[in-house]
Amino acid sequence: MLDVSRVQKELAECNKDKAISGVSINLHRGDDLSHLEGTISGPVGTPYEGGTFRIDVRLPSGYPFEPPKMQFVTKVWHPNISSQNGAICLDILKDQWSPALTLKTALLSLQALLSAPEPDDPQDAVVAQQYLRNHPTFVATAQYWTEAFAKRTSVGIEEKVQKLVEMGFPEALVKSTLDSVNGDENMALEKLCSS
Amino acid sequence: MDDDYYYSQSSNDEDAGDDDDDDGYDDLFDDPPCDEDSSTNSFEYTVITEKSLLTMQMEDLQKIIEFLSLSESSARILLIHNRWDVTRILELFDRKGKEQLFLEAGLVLDDNNNNNNNNDSSFSALSQITCNVCFDDFSKDEFSIMSCGHYYCNNCWTEHFIVKINNGASRRISCITPKCNAICDEAIVRKLVAKKCPDVVCRFDRFLLESYVEDNNKVKWCPSTPHCGNAICVEDDHPCCEVECSCGLLFCFNCLSEAHSPCSCKMWELWSQKCKDESENINWIMVNTKPCPKCRKNVVKNGGCNHVRCICGQCFCWLCGNATGVGHTYDTIDGHSCGRYDDDKIKHIERAKRDLYRYTHYHNRYESHAKSLKEEINLYETIEELINDSKSEDTHFKSFRWALDGLNQLKRARGVLSYSYPFAFYMFGRELFIDDMRPEESLMKKNLFEDQQQQLECQVENLSMHLGKTFHLLSDKELSETSQHVTNLSSIVNRLCKEMYKCIENDLLLPFRKNHSIAPYMSNALRKKR
Repeated sequence: MLDVSRVQKELAECNKDKAISGVSINLHRGDDLSHLEGTISGPVGTPYEGGTFRIDVRLPSGYPFEPPKMQFVTKVWHPNISSQNGAICLDILKDQWSPALTLKTALLSLQALLSAPEPDDPQDAVVAQQYLRNHPTFVATAQYWTEAFAKRTSVGIEEKVQKLVEMGFPEALVKSTLDSVNGDENMALEKLCSS
Repeated sequence: MDDDYYYSQSSNDEDAGDDDDDDGYDDLFDDPPCDEDSSTNSFEYTVITEKSLLTMQMEDLQKIIEFLSLSESSARILLIHNRWDVTRILELFDRKGKEQLFLEAGLVLDDNNNNNNNNDSSFSALSQITCNVCFDDFSKDEFSIMSCGHYYCNNCWTEHFIVKINNGASRRISCITPKCNAICDEAIVRKLVAKKCPDVVCRFDRFLLESYVEDNNKVKWCPSTPHCGNAICVEDDHPCCEVECSCGLLFCFNCLSEAHSPCSCKMWELWSQKCKDESENINWIMVNTKPCPKCRKNVVKNGGCNHVRCICGQCFCWLCGNATGVGHTYDTIDGHSCGRYDDDKIKHIERAKRDLYRYTHYHNRYESHAKSLKEEINLYETIEELINDSKSEDTHFKSFRWALDGLNQLKRARGVLSYSYPFAFYMFGRELFIDDMRPEESLMKKNLFEDQQQQLECQVENLSMHLGKTFHLLSDKELSETSQHVTNLSSIVNRLCKEMYKCIENDLLLPFRKNHSIAPYMSNALRKKR
C-alpha cells in the first residue's frame, strides 16, 4: 500500500522552496498520488541551462520502501539518459535507493546528474561515445536539444492551443494531446485528426 | 548420524571407511590393494544434508563467536561478508585490525557504542520523535535504534525488512539511512517482522541458513534434479575436483556438470555443446550406429567386444567400421589395427568433411566406452549377490571380493578412457591449442598419448572380458585363474591410468594449467552408493 500521507507531505515540502531548489513536483493528472510529474531546471553553466525538464514519476505500491520509477519526458542529450525514451541510469533509483530519500532528493540528484555526467556508466552509448571523443559536438548537440525540446513547451504553448482550437478541436482535448506529444504542434494535429 | 556422510578420498588412504553408514557395505567397498606411489593429490569433502547444514554452520559461527567474543548475529554478518572463510577472517584481523575488518563487513565496533550512547541520550531525551521515513510523530517506544545509532519507527523498519527479504536480500539488510553500510541485527529483524508476517520470518531464517552454501566458496549445492537437498563442502579451495553426493551423483565441483576428467571444464563445455548440436536428427544415426560395410544397414552395438557381426553375416570393426575377417580375440581382430587417427589418409577430403569425420571418430569411441560402462555397471548386482552368498570360510577366490575390486577399477578406468577421447579431440585439434603448439609438436604428443590410450584400452577390454564371465559355470580351477587375472589386470589398468594422467598433466596440459586444470586421478574407485 502506497504511503499516502508521506507522499502528500513530500509534495508540500518539495514545492515550498521550488524557486530556490529548481525542482518541483505535481500530480500528473487528477488525484492519483501514484503518478506524478517532476520538473527540474537545467543547471547553470551546463548545456542544459535555461531548459525546464519534465520527468514522469510513478510510485510503486511499496513506495517509499521501493524506489520511485522516473523517466525524462522532455528529450535530453546526456550520456546517462536515453535519447530514445528518457530512461535514466542512476544508482539511487535502483539498488542504492533508501526509504529515507525523498522525491525531492531524487530530483535533486537528477539535477546533479545533468551537471556531472558519468560517461563510464552510460545509458546511451552513442551519447557517451560522443561525450568522450568529441566533446565540443556533444555540448553543441545538448544545447540544441535543450533549445528545441526543453524550452519550447513552456514558451508559446498557449499560442499552439489557440491555433488548434481555432481549427475546431475542443480545448481540453487539444491540451491533453499537446501534452502527450511533448508540445509538438504537428504531431498533436496528426493525433487529433486520426482520433 | 546417518545423515552425515564423510568421505575421504586419496590415492594412498588405507581405508576410507569413516563413513557412518552402517549398512554393511562399507567393508565391501574397500580400496583395491595397490598403489606404490602417491603422485596424485588427495582431497577430502563432506556431504552436507539439510539436517547437518545447521550443525556445520554453527561450528564456524562458534569459532568466530569465541575468538572475537561477538554475538551470533555479528559473527554471522562477519562470516557472510567474508564468504564463511574463518581462516581469512582471522588473517584479516591480524593484518588489518579489528576496526577495518568490522567496518568492511558493516559491523559497528563496540567502542562506537559511546557515540551511540550520545545519540541515544539525545534520542531518549525526546518524548515525541518524527520518523524520517513516514514523517509521522511517535512516542519513542515505537522506535527501534540500530547498532549504527540510526533510528526509525517500528512500522518503517518492518516494511523495510519485508521488502528486502522479499527481494532476496536477507543476508545483508542494511540500515535505512542512505550510505550507512551497517547491517541490521537479525534479532531485531526477526522480532519486528514476526509481528506482521510470521511466514516472512521463516523465509528470512532459511535465507540465512542457506547462506552457508550460497556465499561460500567451499560449498556448492548438489546439481541433482530433482534436487536431493544436499550440498558438498570441500576442505580446501581446489581448482578442480570430482565429488560424489550421497544421492549417488558424481559431479565436477568446479563446473557442476557430470564428472569429466581428464577433460578440463572448458573442454567438456565445448564437447557437450558440440554433442548436443551435432547429434540431433540425422547426426544421431551417424554417431550412434555404423553402416555395415557390406549391406549398408545401420548397426547398433548391443554389447560384447568391438568385433561386430551384421545380420547379413559380414564382420566388421566397431571402432573404424571397416570389414574384417572372422578371427579375433576380445581385444584384437586378426590382421586389423585402427585405433590411431591417421591424418594422411584423409588429406584429400575437404575441411568440413574432415572435421565431421574427426569428430565422429572421437565421438564414437567416447560413446562406445560410455555405453560399455553402462553395461558393466549392471555387473554390480551379480557380483554383490555372489558376495552375499559367499561364506566367511570360503577361500579368497570364492569370496568374490576380487571381482568387486576389479569392477570398481574397471568402472573408474572405463570412465577415464571414455573422457580421454573428448580430451584428445581438443588437445590435438584446432579448437583450443592451435596457436600454442607447432604441428610437429602436436603430432608427436598425439602419438605419445595415443600409445598410452591404446595400451589402457586393450587392458580395460581384457579386464571387462574376465569380469563378464558367467562365474557360476566355471570350475574352481577356472575361477581361481580368473580371480588372478582380474587382480593382475586391475593393478595393470590402475598403473596405466596413472601413467596416462601423468602424461596428460606433465607433458600435455602443463603450459595450459591455468585455464585447463583437471581433476586428479583417484585410483580407488569411487564408491557406489545406494
